[in-house]
Amino acid sequence: MQSESKKYEEEMPSLYWGMDPVFSAFARLYIKDIKEMRESKQVPGIFFYNGHPVRQVDVFGIVVQMKERDAFYNYGVDDSTGVINCVCWKNPMIAETSLSGHPSTPSSVTVLEQMKKLQEMVSQKTKLEIGDVVRVRGHIRTYRQQREIQASCFYKVDDPVCDVQISRMLELPCLYREVYDKPFQGPEEGQSDLEGQNFSINMLHEKVKGFLLENKIQTFYQQELETIDILVPLISHHLLHSFLPIQVKSKIDASSRRIHNVFKEAIKMLQEKGLVFQKPSSSKDLYHVTDHDKELLKVTLDVIKEDCRKPRLKSFLHAWLHFLFSADAEKGCHFLHVLSCVRQSYNPSLAEVVMHRVLELLESNSDVVSTMEGYYMAF
Amino acid sequence: MLPSAGVYYFPWEINSSVPEGEALRTFGRLCCYDLARSKAVLTAQHHSTQYQVSVDTEFVEPFQAQLGSLYMLLGEVEHREGEGPIVKARILTCVEGMNVPLLERAIQEQRKYFNERQEQMGKSTS
Repeated sequence: MQSESKKYEEEMPSLYWGMDPVFSAFARLYIKDIKEMRESKQVPGIFFYNGHPVRQVDVFGIVVQMKERDAFYNYGVDDSTGVINCVCWKNPMIAETSLSGHPSTPSSVTVLEQMKKLQEMVSQKTKLEIGDVVRVRGHIRTYRQQREIQASCFYKVDDPVCDVQISRMLELPCLYREVYDKPFQGPEEGQSDLEGQNFSINMLHEKVKGFLLENKIQTFYQQELETIDILVPLISHHLLHSFLPIQVKSKIDASSRRIHNVFKEAIKMLQEKGLVFQKPSSSKDLYHVTDHDKELLKVTLDVIKEDCRKPRLKSFLHAWLHFLFSADAEKGCHFLHVLSCVRQSYNPSLAEVVMHRVLELLESNSDVVSTMEGYYMAF
Repeated sequence: MLPSAGVYYFPWEINSSVPEGEALRTFGRLCCYDLARSKAVLTAQHHSTQYQVSVDTEFVEPFQAQLGSLYMLLGEVEHREGEGPIVKARILTCVEGMNVPLLERAIQEQRKYFNERQEQMGKSTS
């Protein structure tokens, strides 16, 4: 994948790295990929796998080499795709503190015993031999032109029947397919704060649309949407960035106001696309979902049916067309006619986009047929 | 210098076509161990055929040979005159109780993933 990275040569500006979940995770990559991925030009020590910024990794493998230094061990770890050197610092707690000779009360004796047990455990888990299975977490650095892992945490894994190794082998391909090999959809480059907000409005609008259609919602209030768990964290994540300098107290207030505004904008977008609409007769905060408004669909269908029942030639042009195609049926009912009828009988302020959406829906259900641009027919 | 990665091979894939010096890891039951010559043999069943892997144990001695137990082997292939391929073991661990069919599946999954990736790369560069 890395050699495919030409299209990712333009790396994401570091400002947006935090929006990619891979950045804050210990990426569980194959050692082969850790050794081959490209280092960031902006910040050394950050690497890019398939456009994802990687700051720290989690590797798992067999110790195939071991070199002791004064303060640390170098372990060569092999995961069957590659071998990487891991710098693992010796535990200062074990090296420095001697537990004997402390004055002891009965309670401190038990504490000392516990400490001793803990130390034994730690030294057991961190004293590795060749052939041991080890898990290492840390960040990547380059030392003498070789990549290595500066371990922040490492321990021996008891894996007598290879269960852990096997499950990791089964897990990684899925993780790659689901996460690492999918490019991160970040905001467009050169985004200002305002554009960042537009980005979250856009994303929210998509989410709300999916939510309304999937759950067959007929009507809703904005406040109701704001309580839906899957919708809110989406935007609060983006908005957090812009709130860092503000004090905590006003922050909560301001952010809820801001969330409210983002929802408002997202709903406005849905209205502009004809997905939702309002009725003057009902409460001003109530929204109707076009696709699930049975009454509107019925009224529209009735208008077209009614119109098709009485054949008539509206104009000379129609007559001529009629003659030309020697069609028996009428060519249908014009969009504007449908719109004005529906406005009269159902909702005087119905937007054109909503009407378009209704007709598309009726057409996809085969309730109506579009005979030519803007003309509809029902049977 | 770090050694090369021990790539998974199935025991039935270890034959004269494996390149000299290739680092690999494989598995099998320890069926015999000749202490004097530092030689062991691992066996594995595949499609009702029995396969054998010769192992040079010089680097991993002294080692407690549990005859009949499953072992995981990591080492380099050597082709010696008059003999088949032999794996010079760097690591030889007893893994008795290991779920062999599951390991086989895991190896295949890993290969499948890398093959897919290779294909994708081929597509995008061509």
